[in-house]
Amino acid sequence: MTDFIIFSVTTIAIWSVLGISLHLQFGLTGLVNFGQVLPFAVGAYGAGFAAVHGLPIWAGALIGCGLAPLIGVLVILPAGRLTQDYWALVTLGAGEIFRLAMLNISGIAGGVEGASVVRLGDRTLAMVLALVLLTGTALFAFRMDRSPLGRLLRVLREDETLAATLGRNPLRFQLVVTAVSWVMAGLAGVLYAHVTGYVSPSSFMVIETFVIWTAVVLGGPNTIAGVVLGTAVVQLTGVSTRFIAQWSHLPSELVANLRLAAFGAVLVLVFLFRPQGVIPEPKRRYNADSR
Amino acid sequence: MCRVIQILFNTLIYGSEIAIIAVGVALSYSILRFANFAHVQFAVVGAYTAFSLHQYAGAPIALAAVLAALLTGLFAVLVDWLVFARLRNITPEGKMIVSWGVALFIRSIVAAMFGGSARVFDVSSDTLSIGGAFFTLQDVIVVAATALAMLALHALLYRTLAGTALRALASNRDLAETRGIPAARMIGLMWFICGTTAALGGTLFALQTRLQPNMDLVMLLPVFSAVTIGGLDRVFGAALGAVVLSLAQNLLISVDFGTLFSGESWSVPTQFRDFIAVGAMVLILLLRPRRIAARAAG
Repeated sequence: MTDFIIFSVTTIAIWSVLGISLHLQFGLTGLVNFGQVLPFAVGAYGAGFAAVHGLPIWAGALIGCGLAPLIGVLVILPAGRLTQDYWALVTLGAGEIFRLAMLNISGIAGGVEGASVVRLGDRTLAMVLALVLLTGTALFAFRMDRSPLGRLLRVLREDETLAATLGRNPLRFQLVVTAVSWVMAGLAGVLYAHVTGYVSPSSFMVIETFVIWTAVVLGGPNTIAGVVLGTAVVQLTGVSTRFIAQWSHLPSELVANLRLAAFGAVLVLVFLFRPQGVIPEPKRRYNADSR
Repeated sequence: MCRVIQILFNTLIYGSEIAIIAVGVALSYSILRFANFAHVQFAVVGAYTAFSLHQYAGAPIALAAVLAALLTGLFAVLVDWLVFARLRNITPEGKMIVSWGVALFIRSIVAAMFGGSARVFDVSSDTLSIGGAFFTLQDVIVVAATALAMLALHALLYRTLAGTALRALASNRDLAETRGIPAARMIGLMWFICGTTAALGGTLFALQTRLQPNMDLVMLLPVFSAVTIGGLDRVFGAALGAVVLSLAQNLLISVDFGTLFSGESWSVPTQFRDFIAVGAMVLILLLRPRRIAARAAG
């Protein structure tokens, strides 16, 4: 039982980091990233690459979270000046392309079979690391949220043209947010690889992106607490799929599919009945005169 | 020479399958102004319906395909009534996210009902040959069915009153409604067309390859890439985009670059089809961003 709790907390913490990363991009800045699994995969494959090529763990971590923001900036450049439709399409495409590249180029980290990396034997240590990462990410996101930068990003979210008339270049701020939040997701990927001890292309399917989206939309994309709450709910149904299958005597594949169907339904229902999510964004008042 | 003919044939066959799915994405974008990621699921639903009608109910394959297309059309109308009709006033980003929710729901239900393993239509067909290029009777049917569907769609959009109404809604929604065009009913018709064409495309796709719940992911990138190449809101631009994309893919995969440059035989492996799809999409976005941005804003 304690094993299960430790495993659940670790999972929730890692996926919450991905959620907070999406919160910065979508909730705060309004960027529709349909390839959120990409920086996560890049982080994990950094670790995988290091393991396959005999590099130390820290080198893998460095590759993973150094490459993630670089790729993010590369992806945003063709789409940055365009509407969100194209931004969504390009990020979606980039995520799939990375997965296909890992699948077909076996030299990087094992191709279809994937690669094993050093697994953190001490599960409590893994949990503590995940919680430390989550706390760090949450604090950083919170500071960003409250800073003048956060205020400007909200303006950008509501009205890009207004931000531009204030003399701020929207693309520059979108690049900054992308780089920062992709480093977070990359770190989550590195940790994920060392917690599971394994990276394989099948862990980074398009669907994973929408599991993150479900969590973020359910909890409320505009608040950190909402994101963590949403992730906890979504990931708990994830880790308990096996138990539900045992308890209900249904095949586990069926239960897994019904779970994903439920996520889809949640995504739709939240938009229909509570578009601000469980925890809505509080109204903020700013006094322009007194600083 | 025969290699050139073969490449052209393959272009036409794959391009047809993608085109017929892509036109629906462009049609719904032109009227409702959002990229509907659930569209590809209509293709999957259509293909599974056709398979069930053919394999379990014993309908001949052509009848099964047509019936499945009509049923999926109604299904699309139902999806709109349940979800999208209630969310007409949210932001385009919100609609895109909701469409992924719908997609996730539909694909998981299909996977739950039919299982994850692949199925194959038990149709056999003869191999034909023209000028040294090989293709099957099935290929001819795919291309012919797509051509017919395209002609029908063109006639519907440009020769009927309903088509004119749809185009009016696409070009200026407010003006069209002021002039008494029943927007709600026309949008219903639009969803029916989307469901029908996608289902037909899905059935053809499944006939050519095989039926799998995750075939949506195989179609997703080429379809959206084709629509982007054609311009998100241009119905027949999407069809043209599909053919252009298909030509690019078949050319790049067939040409032996190794012999051209270094003497050793090397060509792009077929697994890299999707790289070409995304590459083409990004290239188009880089080459003509101004026009697209202006169009999207207007």
